[in-house]
Amino acid sequence: MLASFDKHIFWEALSSRPYWHGALLSLELTCATLGAASVLAFFLALGALSKSGPLRGVVLVYNWLFRAIPTLLLLLFVWNGLPQLWGAFTGGWYRPFLAAFIALALNEAAYMSEIIRAGLLSVDPGQELAGRALGMTRGRILRRVIVPQAIRIIIPPTANEFITLLKLTSLASVISLYELLGASTIRASQDFRYLEAYTAAAVYYLAIVSVLMVFQAQLERRFTWRSTARRRRTVPAMAHDAR
Amino acid sequence: MNEPVLRAEAVSKSYDGLSVLQGVTLEVGRGEVKVIIGPSGSGKSTLLRCLALLEPVDDGHVWLDGARLSGVREKELAPHRSEVGMVFQRFNLFQNMTALANVMCGLVEVRRLKKAEARERALQFLERVGLRDKADNYPEELSGGQQQRVAIARALVMRPKAMLFDEPTSALDVELVREVLDVMEALARDGMTMVVVSHELRFAHHVASSILMMDDGKIIEEAPPAQFFSSPSHERTRRFLSLVE
Repeated sequence: MLASFDKHIFWEALSSRPYWHGALLSLELTCATLGAASVLAFFLALGALSKSGPLRGVVLVYNWLFRAIPTLLLLLFVWNGLPQLWGAFTGGWYRPFLAAFIALALNEAAYMSEIIRAGLLSVDPGQELAGRALGMTRGRILRRVIVPQAIRIIIPPTANEFITLLKLTSLASVISLYELLGASTIRASQDFRYLEAYTAAAVYYLAIVSVLMVFQAQLERRFTWRSTARRRRTVPAMAHDAR
Repeated sequence: MNEPVLRAEAVSKSYDGLSVLQGVTLEVGRGEVKVIIGPSGSGKSTLLRCLALLEPVDDGHVWLDGARLSGVREKELAPHRSEVGMVFQRFNLFQNMTALANVMCGLVEVRRLKKAEARERALQFLERVGLRDKADNYPEELSGGQQQRVAIARALVMRPKAMLFDEPTSALDVELVREVLDVMEALARDGMTMVVVSHELRFAHHVASSILMMDDGKIIEEAPPAQFFSSPSHERTRRFLSLVE
């Protein structure tokens, strides 16, 4: 069966400009989306945890809305529907990348806000109490004590979200954004070498996720508060029979 | 007349309609050590939190060094909290900071000291609780007793006018209690004004200027240790002491 796999076509696709370009576009869209969504989600999470009822209501409605609407529908709505709703969006500046960014970020913020809320809730309330007893303001306690500790909890599910988003960017091909999957589909349709075209795309996805996993492991180590964990990397362990 | 460092005047507090403090009045003079005992739910911890300005009182007043601070708005209250040191049962050291960073935190974030100066002072106070060599360790790597001593240093470094201890040894293994009590005794000898919620009766006997018995949100008895232990005037106190000892 492998005889039908043309290595030459595979390498050619793998190193072709549309693939590179598509992969970069997917990666950019994923990073930009996750970044913006995390910032928005942080404030949504603070709102969800606030004492103010109306604020909690706003967050509830947001999360309900953007978790219920399918991502593809939202994408089509933002790209095709928004310009009909608002004339401003008919301008030439309104590109597919921007539309995909808006739709995915709105969607992703709803998921991220729940992850961040869980992270903030996981921090022992005694930490905030100790900060207040020292005379720290709420903002400083949040920044110096609670957020760093919440990040440790947030990292693994956020890495999951990154991977999910990376795959969701392929939906943007329906609004003519030629990211990685779009590039491979076009490549395949040239000579119907689906096997090679899709394998090459899979290699890119594998590569991106591999880099992410290494990055995640490093980040998790950075947010583990044990001096020995770090020391082990710089100073060799003492031999057991040291006398 | 010598102004008391801490004063609670007819303080009342309730949570969800449940009355926790019912008109508690308490004065702590400079250099005095007051030990509060009483059954759980009697309002000891709540009283301490009100004195630490961590809980607003429903009724009555809290004074710190002659200034009335009950009813002061949250924003203006924060700096005053640093004038009262608070030590918790579960230490509550910042998990994401080394022992040194924990002690430096208040100096840098509240007092706005330069890092180098804060570090210098923090090291002095770690030395004072005998933990200078643990400066770079994280709380997770320290024993309970060591964590509590770091927590004491973190509060002390702010040079508070009074120190409040909320059952500082109840979460510790038996053999670690002593090292924390030693630090507290040294502190009392140095003339620190202290309010201690604790059932370490020997410590109370040694160190306290007076012992207070709380029950049902009220202080029902206050007396110097000798009198408190030998001839408690209240039946409730007698019963409680026989259970604790």
